[in-house]
Amino acid sequence: MAYAYLFKYIIIGDTGVGKSCLLLQFTDKRFQPVHDLTIGVEFGARMITIDGKQIKLQIWDTAGQESFRSITRSYYRGAAGALLVYDITRRDTFNHLTTWLEDARQHSNSNMVIMLIGNKSDLESRREVKKEEGEAFAREHGLIFMETSAKTASNVEEAFINTAKEIYEKIQEGVFDINNEANGIKIGPQHAATNATHTGNQGGQQAGGGCC
Amino acid sequence: MEHSTLHWTLDSPKSDNCLRNPLHKQQSLPLRPIIPLVARISDQNASGAPPMTVREKTRLEKFRQLLSSHNTDLDELRKCSWPGVPREVRPVTWRLLSGYLPANTERRKPTLQRKREEYFGFIEQYYDSRNEEHHQDTYRQIHIDIPRTNPLIPLFQQPLVQEIFERILFIWAIRHPASGYVQGINDLVTPFFVVFLSEYVEEDVENFDVTNLSQDMLRSIEADSFWCMSKLLDGIQDNYTFAQPGIQKKVKALEELVSRIDEQVHNHFRRYEVEYLQFAFRWMNNLLMRELPLRCTIRLWDTYQSEPEGFSHFHLYVCAAFLIKWRKEILDEEDFQGLLMLLQNLPTIHWGNEEIGLLLAEAYRLKYMFADAPNHYRR
Repeated sequence: MAYAYLFKYIIIGDTGVGKSCLLLQFTDKRFQPVHDLTIGVEFGARMITIDGKQIKLQIWDTAGQESFRSITRSYYRGAAGALLVYDITRRDTFNHLTTWLEDARQHSNSNMVIMLIGNKSDLESRREVKKEEGEAFAREHGLIFMETSAKTASNVEEAFINTAKEIYEKIQEGVFDINNEANGIKIGPQHAATNATHTGNQGGQQAGGGCC
Repeated sequence: MEHSTLHWTLDSPKSDNCLRNPLHKQQSLPLRPIIPLVARISDQNASGAPPMTVREKTRLEKFRQLLSSHNTDLDELRKCSWPGVPREVRPVTWRLLSGYLPANTERRKPTLQRKREEYFGFIEQYYDSRNEEHHQDTYRQIHIDIPRTNPLIPLFQQPLVQEIFERILFIWAIRHPASGYVQGINDLVTPFFVVFLSEYVEEDVENFDVTNLSQDMLRSIEADSFWCMSKLLDGIQDNYTFAQPGIQKKVKALEELVSRIDEQVHNHFRRYEVEYLQFAFRWMNNLLMRELPLRCTIRLWDTYQSEPEGFSHFHLYVCAAFLIKWRKEILDEEDFQGLLMLLQNLPTIHWGNEEIGLLLAEAYRLKYMFADAPNHYRR
């Protein structure tokens, strides 16, 4: 399947916050109330369209348990986007965000786009973390923020797609070195050919943005 | 994408989704196999058996003889068990093979009694500490994970069963602080629990209501599952200690082994930048339990318990044989995504004893050819 860009994502956050359910809702459009627990990392993918361009998302869903951290850390490096998820009905999962963020920043490339997600927004009656708290945390740390429900699918598309839009904009601005795959971005086969011509004409890194 | 089509057919509620959003039809792929309940567990390993052949009857007779002789010949029992243990004698055979029960028949009853009391002594002594600060995280993790263990089988959704699993895992975890509880260990209780439960249940265990059992029966099942699981874990502890060195080592060994036995598959992975850790981590961490129906795991464990270092060493050869079993499907996939989706969702849903028998035979052959010839094995 032809695509203009491939973006790699990683989903992180405490155990049981709904990381795998978010991914399943995004890739398969269904919800599994009791989900098998994720061991190490698991992979999912979907194509989206931004600015009329096909973008392939390859997503690594990680296990939340601390024991797997040494395995999951290695997936930060090749990621262009991260979804950092907490559960609005469990205060402790919100309290751990700082640790997660430090871990992510330390092991990823500095341009990685991070989307903060307060999941389980359908469980309003059990809410322990106010929406404003999530917004404030995101503002303070320069993250995008959204509340989602993997169960009702509310904002799930938006969470994945807005992250991609941000990455896409950064590419336009020339922030990302798209020729370095360690940034979690790959130019699609077709695009690469166009890009090469441009490179011939204009040279340098701008070409990637120029042809879009 | 031939394979994704195959997965789709196993995957029930997707058709309406595709209608809802036709744009994503081709791109959206199933994340995990959705395994129908019936196919997952109900066969001769866990429930009502089909009629026996003469050969099976003879085999069962042989087991009964071995098991009832004054001192069970364990070497002989291993030899007989390697190709599969008959359901009727599996509980006692597993207790013997795991080293939980002594070979001497007279000592068995008192041993069982003592070990069961010992286990419930632990419960009395430690279980109340689950809400204390130093054990809180462990208990909370187990508590979150239990409902997610075998989520599709009704048996495991019963509160009594979930409480049993919680106690077993919590006690094991706090008695093994070097590793503690690591996700995946929860799965390892299941085969023991099902096999020991089958001692009391004639019909399908998957739908059995455990409140029909007496307190004593339930206690025996719980304690025996705990001790047999502990014995198993003793052999693979480095899978679960900090940074999981046992798994790292085994995945590396798998890679090396595959590069020797099937260069084409190995090069195919390299070409599409698939790393062994990306799919085989789970194979090691959960002993292939996530890749196979439960009935197959039970059959596999007959052999693992008969084979020296079955769970730690022989498992590597089983993984290699398992991977090569899919070589055609693997070589047909021509991108990273297709390969990962395939390797994460290998279609073993209809597998039974026959497939496991073949897999084990191939693993044995590989072990014979490569294990004792390190130079041959090393690149």
